[in-house]
Amino acid sequence: MDLELAERQQQLQNAAIEFARSELNDDLIQRDRDEAFSLEGWKKCARFGALGLPVPAEYGGMGFGITDVIVVMEGLGYGTRDQGLLFSINAHLWTNSLPILVYGTEDQRRKYLPGLSNGELIGANGASEPDAGSDVFSMRTRAELHGDHYILNGTKTFVSNAPVANLFVIYATVDPRLGPMGITAFLVERDTPGLVVSRRMEKMGLRTSPMAELVLNDCTVPVANRLGREGRGVAVFESSMEWERGCILANYLGLMRRQLENCIQYVRSRKQFGKPIGKFQSVANRVVDMKVRLDASRPLVYRIGWLKERNQSAMLESALAKLYVSESLVASCLDALQIYGGYGYMVEQGIERELRDALGSTLYSGTSEIQRNVIAKCLGI
Amino acid sequence: MQNVREEIRQYILSEFLPGEKPSNLRDDTPLRTSGILDSISTLRLVSFVEEHYGVEVEAHEASVENFDSIESIASFIKNKKSSAS
Repeated sequence: MDLELAERQQQLQNAAIEFARSELNDDLIQRDRDEAFSLEGWKKCARFGALGLPVPAEYGGMGFGITDVIVVMEGLGYGTRDQGLLFSINAHLWTNSLPILVYGTEDQRRKYLPGLSNGELIGANGASEPDAGSDVFSMRTRAELHGDHYILNGTKTFVSNAPVANLFVIYATVDPRLGPMGITAFLVERDTPGLVVSRRMEKMGLRTSPMAELVLNDCTVPVANRLGREGRGVAVFESSMEWERGCILANYLGLMRRQLENCIQYVRSRKQFGKPIGKFQSVANRVVDMKVRLDASRPLVYRIGWLKERNQSAMLESALAKLYVSESLVASCLDALQIYGGYGYMVEQGIERELRDALGSTLYSGTSEIQRNVIAKCLGI
Repeated sequence: MQNVREEIRQYILSEFLPGEKPSNLRDDTPLRTSGILDSISTLRLVSFVEEHYGVEVEAHEASVENFDSIESIASFIKNKKSSAS
């Protein structure tokens, strides 16, 4: 596996950095405070091609392979400080567009993928429930077949993008006695009778990515909108998670790199006791630890792309990367904050927001504990 | 049938029991009831069986009866293929 980017990939990443730096950073402190999603930023990302990165050109996307997607995502993470917007894009891509691409019928692909790629449609997914979080397949939302449609009833929580989404991938069971073999995925449009975007949820971080609960009250979904086979929703979900765990981390590689570069610059220029603070070992060691984490994280993320482009399973590698990179990100944000001292604690500096954003990464797409479970299982334990 | 058994054995060893001696996974070793396969692993095994042997497994067929040993899985595949032909 070659860790050096090819010249074309480097150009791609540079373009993403330049785009994100110049177009996606406006008014972020206020938007974070107001929990404001930037529809304008979303449209800009669509024009840049970010909303259709893995979608083939025939469905309106860029048709990139996963490694190129990681290259672009790393660039976006470096260029913008709006990690909430990038989080929304990841939710849109990996839990909505990609399942449609992989498991959808040709009609479903042609109907939804062009809009999802050009910014007209925003995607979301509803899997977690108030009593089914890490144990997501114990979900209670029911889907009952009535002729040519299903009736869905239940509640979904932690639905990223829900307040602004037009299209939802919803998971429900056709028979709780079948356990995971009963879980089925459905495509549910926002104006479907019986679908209610309920309580908006306020978060600690990633505040520019909106989140809400969904209530399905006799929600009528045509059989034609079932995504994949009945009882095979787990495969759809697991495939989503494998991609998401890999690609969502690429943003963080960019963030960690930018943060490291800023810290190096700061410890060189900031003087206390007559010399740059970087000359104190206790400060320099924090920067060194940040560098070690970044350099250890990068191959873990790019290995996922390498494996998936060879049609190999990356379940173990995705879990390893998710666990290590998310925990490294939190640790590096804490180091950055400590290096900047009182200034790092100030909202204006942006590090406290990056720390708040980072903390979510050890929770979503499977908590660190769940990643350890997956890894243990892959080791035959 | 022997080939089918060996292929399933290899799949289970590589995906769910890395490092285990092949001789410890016998044709009659319980898979579900012993905890080697949980519900999600069973689903992955079902997908493997469908893709590899061209049979369609209905949700109710992924039961302990059909998927608790290499022997029962191989018999299930044989029955599915013969009922399809």
